[in-house]
Amino acid sequence: MKRRSILLSAVGIGGALIVGWGVMPQRSRLGAGALTLPTEGDVALNGWIKIALDGTVVLAMPRSEMGQGVHTALSMLVAEELDVPLSQVRTEQSGLDAIYGNVAMFVGSLPFHPQDSEAGQATTAVKTGEWIVGKVARELGVVVTGGSSSVADAWGPVRLAAATARAQLVGAAAAQWGVPAAQISITQGVLTAAGKTAKLGELARAAAGVSPGEVKVKVKDAKDFKLLGMAAPRTDVPAKVDGTAQFGIDVRPSGMVFAAVRLCPMLGGSTGAFDAARALSLPGVERVVQLPALGGGTAGLAVIGATSWHAKQGVQAIEVQWQQRPLGALESAVIEKNIQAAAAQGGGFTFHSRGDTDVAEQAASRKLEAMYSAPYLAHATMEPMNCTAQVKDGKVTVWAPTQVPQMARDIAAQVAGVPKDAVTVHVTLIGGGFGRRLDVDFVAQAVRVAMDCAGRPVQLLYSREEDTMHDFYRPAHAALLRASIDAKGAVTSLRIQSAGDAITPRWFERAFPLLAGPVDSPDKTTAEGLFDLPYNFASQHMSHTATHSGVPVGYWRAVGHSHNAFFSEGFVTELAHATQTDPLEFRRSALTQSPRHLAVLNLAAEKASWGKPLPAGRAHGMALHESFGSIVAQVLEVSLEQGAPRVHRVVCAIDCGTAVNPGVIAQQMESAVVFGLTAALYGRVDIVQGQVQQTNYPNYPMLKLAQAPVVQTFVVQSNAAPTGVGEPGLPPVAPALAAALFTLTGQWQRALPFAKSTAKLT
Amino acid sequence: MELQINGKTQSVQADGAMPLLWVLRDVLNMTGTKFGCGVAACGACTVRVDGQAVRSCVTPVSTVVGKQIQTIEATDAQLVKLQAAWIAEQVPQCGYCQSGMLMAASALLDATPQPTDAQIDAAMTNICRCGTYQRVRAAIHRAAGSPVAKMGAPA
Repeated sequence: MKRRSILLSAVGIGGALIVGWGVMPQRSRLGAGALTLPTEGDVALNGWIKIALDGTVVLAMPRSEMGQGVHTALSMLVAEELDVPLSQVRTEQSGLDAIYGNVAMFVGSLPFHPQDSEAGQATTAVKTGEWIVGKVARELGVVVTGGSSSVADAWGPVRLAAATARAQLVGAAAAQWGVPAAQISITQGVLTAAGKTAKLGELARAAAGVSPGEVKVKVKDAKDFKLLGMAAPRTDVPAKVDGTAQFGIDVRPSGMVFAAVRLCPMLGGSTGAFDAARALSLPGVERVVQLPALGGGTAGLAVIGATSWHAKQGVQAIEVQWQQRPLGALESAVIEKNIQAAAAQGGGFTFHSRGDTDVAEQAASRKLEAMYSAPYLAHATMEPMNCTAQVKDGKVTVWAPTQVPQMARDIAAQVAGVPKDAVTVHVTLIGGGFGRRLDVDFVAQAVRVAMDCAGRPVQLLYSREEDTMHDFYRPAHAALLRASIDAKGAVTSLRIQSAGDAITPRWFERAFPLLAGPVDSPDKTTAEGLFDLPYNFASQHMSHTATHSGVPVGYWRAVGHSHNAFFSEGFVTELAHATQTDPLEFRRSALTQSPRHLAVLNLAAEKASWGKPLPAGRAHGMALHESFGSIVAQVLEVSLEQGAPRVHRVVCAIDCGTAVNPGVIAQQMESAVVFGLTAALYGRVDIVQGQVQQTNYPNYPMLKLAQAPVVQTFVVQSNAAPTGVGEPGLPPVAPALAAALFTLTGQWQRALPFAKSTAKLT
Repeated sequence: MELQINGKTQSVQADGAMPLLWVLRDVLNMTGTKFGCGVAACGACTVRVDGQAVRSCVTPVSTVVGKQIQTIEATDAQLVKLQAAWIAEQVPQCGYCQSGMLMAASALLDATPQPTDAQIDAAMTNICRCGTYQRVRAAIHRAAGSPVAKMGAPA
């Protein structure tokens, strides 16, 4: 059974189901106060909001903070509706009830063309599909942080919860003071009416007696925002400059021991004969634990020791014969070649088709064709994979830097053989997620090791080498792109045939094995950034062939967009050149049906002074891309230094709907630019004889401060519902860099990464 | 052995070959200093030893006996000034690398009170996967009292 295929087929059922559309109750996610953590002195008003007697507003926080500023952003939504200072809002990890599930992420995973799902223009099929997925996501309630969806998801329910709490507080004041609710205002956390004042905390108990159904609840109009739209300082920053912020590796439950892992270096391989005698003779080494393949990861060994260092010394000292995976050694060079062949052949699932591309190609006066490709990539989060676990008296406690606490709970229960409600998951701050921590292999391993720790907590920590060699990699992909150009030089068709592994079916197998079936259904992430382009070419055909390489693949920042924007926007720049048109003018003339895209493009072009002469040796490159509901245009200013690309400046324009915190938006654009440049210049993972060749930062390099460009961010003013911010800044980077490099070298960059090929050109 | 950490003497039972990082983190439970790579490539474990920025993941603890060790848990004026600049420029995102960044910046400013961009480039070789680099640069200039154009601000 595949959830998505059911949902997609249900889209066709049509009319009857649409009755409920438009009244999808945000209230269904309000939840009762009993869902919150009961704390002495706090009064719960609903599933999201507690008011402490000192006036602190406590927000139940289901999303993980991994640098994207989500704890600040969601706190701002609450502070705005309650008219309290941001500093008066505190977050507390939420439970796993369905009200905290991420609905927006699942609705966003539907493969609808954006032009069919714009507000006000959505077709019946789209509305129906979104309704059904929304309903299923509400029922399932998957607590997950990913897909740049946290603010978009919280926009309805969290604001409504805070507005409801406000109405209850106002209702309590109205009853006590005998004044109409409409006359009561809140300023800086103080309720005022007719000469009377009360602090939030003073009314908390009375407010809990006011039924949310009896009070008038209305979220604020944009014109009344006092905090949203301000670059408010992040609430997590002070603890991140003095060393007190607690990441996964910083938890120190009493009596804790440490563990190091050494997994079979061949992906999917297993542990053969091993001799641990020398390891066990080392001081501080306590025990060896054999790990089966858990959570989609590879099998291996762990050592329990007095410190992380002792455990690592021990695990390195084991003599072991590793065994290759039964299906044969993985070879990325072979896989990448096969993927390109599949792209050249075409076929697979058609994600988008309009006009008649066959006819347009026959009628073309000339055609342009190019093969693009991208390699496997590792996440390389700064905080290596780790998890702390304790198995004691039939209960399991997990402290994990995770994007998926529910999955962490479920796999912990499965490994330890206890019911799910015997597991407690504490989500720590995360030292970089980027999608890697949507998997829970390391949680399962920690729990398995904890079972051999006699009730003591154990902190399992990967070395950097294990982290790099045992990732769920961004899959290698390739695309053949072909355009028809008529006698007047106009582009009449665009065909894209792509190929590469699908992530979502593999993740479902690991995350929700009961929902994974024998046949993969189409995965939007394979084709996003190819099938959903904003351009008006009359005939378009986009298909994807899902391959099955056997390499463990996972979600990596911007997912399919991370390579597909390079393929599509790289090729669009080639088309501009082939039709002897300025890349800005070419895009403008192709965006007649996409006014929001055009506005973002124009903003970036204007702020970068596109077209004005640059210093000698420098060139501009641009790209435009929509992902996670947001549109980003970038103009890069690039030169060559000893043949290597050097990016000096990036002008970035974004339309992400309502800008909740422009400061965080700017941070995320800066972050995505550096992440995208690292991938474009250096990023590749090679697998030889099943073994990942890259092991640590010296051979999997990262952009550093000296190479970092200045990024300037400009945000389009909008009152639309907010959309993604964490990922959309990444996709345009590689194609914009490729465009500038073409101007500088006369050579097209069609394979990531660029550094090697560019050096050859000069 | 006895270690001088942030102006205090700490008695530690540890193998002399054990890297300072793990003595701090796993023996003394001073977890502000982070583990990133284990090969001195990323700088997340940077501390100061007799004023110099040192990558503690490859520094055997025996080599720092009798020296002044300073970590992110220190409260000296230089570090406090840098922390204030870090907050003003809103540098951290995930925050994991920032302890090391701050210790490297602290050593830089002691040696070079008003560093140029090129001096910052040379001294700040720590890896930040969130790409906070331009704000790190701005915060160092701010702490140094150097005039600096506000870059990357939203418009």
